[in-house]
Amino acid sequence: MAKVSFRHVWKKYGNLPAVKDLNIECPDGSFLSILGPSGCGKSSTMRMVAGLEHITSGEILFDEKPINALPPKDRDVAMVFENYALYPHKSVFENMANPLRLRGQDASKIKERVESAARLLEIHQLLDRRPQELSGGQKQRVAIGRAIVREPNLFLFDEPIAHLDAKLRAHMRGEIKHLQRTLGTTMIYVTHDQLEAMSMADMIAVMHDGELQQLGTPREVYNKPVNAWVAGFVGEPAMNFADVTIEDRDGQTTFVHPNFAIAVNDEQQRIIAASAKARQLRMGIRPDCLSITMEKPAGDHITGQIFVTELLGGDMIVDVDLDDSRIRVKTSPEFKELENQTCYITVNRDKWHAFSKDDGKALF
Amino acid sequence: MASRGVISYETPLSKAFRWFSAVFIGFYVIWTVLPIFVMFVSSFKDLLEAFKLPAVGDWAGITVFFEFSPTFKHYYELFANLGFSTYLFNSLVAAGGSAVISVVLGSMAAYSLSRIDFRGKNDLFFWIISTRMAPVVAVMVPLYWIFRELGLVGTLPGLILAYTTFNLPFAIWILKGFFDNVPYAIEEAQMVDGATRLQAFRAILPLVAPGIGAFVVLCILFAWNDYLFAAIIGSGGAKTLPAATRELVQPQNIQWGQIMAAGVVTTLPMMFLGLVIRKYLVTGLTMGAVKE
Repeated sequence: MAKVSFRHVWKKYGNLPAVKDLNIECPDGSFLSILGPSGCGKSSTMRMVAGLEHITSGEILFDEKPINALPPKDRDVAMVFENYALYPHKSVFENMANPLRLRGQDASKIKERVESAARLLEIHQLLDRRPQELSGGQKQRVAIGRAIVREPNLFLFDEPIAHLDAKLRAHMRGEIKHLQRTLGTTMIYVTHDQLEAMSMADMIAVMHDGELQQLGTPREVYNKPVNAWVAGFVGEPAMNFADVTIEDRDGQTTFVHPNFAIAVNDEQQRIIAASAKARQLRMGIRPDCLSITMEKPAGDHITGQIFVTELLGGDMIVDVDLDDSRIRVKTSPEFKELENQTCYITVNRDKWHAFSKDDGKALF
Repeated sequence: MASRGVISYETPLSKAFRWFSAVFIGFYVIWTVLPIFVMFVSSFKDLLEAFKLPAVGDWAGITVFFEFSPTFKHYYELFANLGFSTYLFNSLVAAGGSAVISVVLGSMAAYSLSRIDFRGKNDLFFWIISTRMAPVVAVMVPLYWIFRELGLVGTLPGLILAYTTFNLPFAIWILKGFFDNVPYAIEEAQMVDGATRLQAFRAILPLVAPGIGAFVVLCILFAWNDYLFAAIIGSGGAKTLPAATRELVQPQNIQWGQIMAAGVVTTLPMMFLGLVIRKYLVTGLTMGAVKE
């Protein structure tokens, strides 16, 4: 087990930076998820930790020891690859035994370790099979098994469940989280799926264009996104954004939009007064912080037209057309679908966000 | 489960074509097998029996081909008096030696060309292939001179070197394609598991086994069947089967029986090898561990 630290880490391919000045501290025994869209530098980051890529500049440290110059075999990390990378000509047993064999463990010890790992992952009945005889989920378990047989310093999981079907993915999320808790080994888990990161990790590092956007717990990242990009990336359905101007109406700071004019609460008013000189902001609000009715409500509200409704079993998503944009509202399935009709949306003002229009930084 | 391959429907044309192909294949089989059959049977015949032919148009007379008392005297003559055991040994060593050297050097070179990026890689690769573009005859004279100066003419190492020169580019070319198809992730997984680069390279060799198998066969076939190098560079001390067989054609008489027997001795091992390694040559090893 180890604490992993990234200190000013850069990765450049030629002149093209893939990772820019990355600084992360990942405490011993914690589950860090690196989250971002494809091409954000998350895989490069993981491969630098594994030793499969050179670190262009900066340092990666395990327990305060720099590992930049160590080849992969001396880093004592175990990695699960996106495509599993099982050895096709070897049985499941031999696949899992490989790291132990390379370390010269004796046969009885190898057998014991492989079998206990296989039991933990419930693949002990598959040990004689070859990878091509396994289903996707089973291959993925074998790949995890190969990683856990030798109790490494650190687990590196590179989108390990991206290729599984949705149901199995949901199941494996729980399994992997439980496994990490049971073994207590530090884990870095790379994914583009915000749901995986949210549901599994202790800490999420959100990356975009090679830069770390936000490092925080899943709650922090979801409830207090540092900028509009993080706010838009995390959460499903995605956050709604609308460009608003700030106006003073009856002594109250108000977000004004062609479709609505809603005053902010007192604390938000203070924040705006203290920071923003600009009169333009981006308002952001999650679909579940809005409520929709067909009758005109008493207080502040947004008026729009129902574009389409999507029933998702337990929830319903309603797309509402405003004059220049469209917002999505999460409501209950009892809501009657009445397309093209005028509807009214009320806003939970305590849950909305405001971002600067220039750099996207969050005000609140 | 969808059907594999494009389905087709019967038309008059396709029916006619099927008949035509059956007839064509029939002729082709006779054309191919008959000489081998004649060689095989004649090698067991006395010279007089071998030249018994039916009259033109006498189809029933075909049976004279099968009327003979089998004799091993040609084989006995080859191995007891004409030193064919030495020539067989030379052929085996020359073909096997060049195949082994080519596969060892070739797989390492192919791996490097497949995995490592360096300046001028494409030019280097093209140059390697281009060495096979000139016919052997074109380089024979300078090659002979070089080999003679180095004292390699008429020696087995010389012959092995000559075959390797021509097999190695071929090995690199074939094997690079096979290495290109092995996902990087498998080596990377090995290295994270604790392997050195060399161990990782060794670990993926089983995945290119079909390529290595196919190449070894082609390489052995080339050396085994070669006459030009054998006659010029191997002449004298390192005579191989084809060169020795050629010497059975003497100005005074042509030793037909012995030539047929030598043909059988030369052909059988390669036919056997072909049967053994057919599986490797035909099927690629699609092992589905890496989901792309």
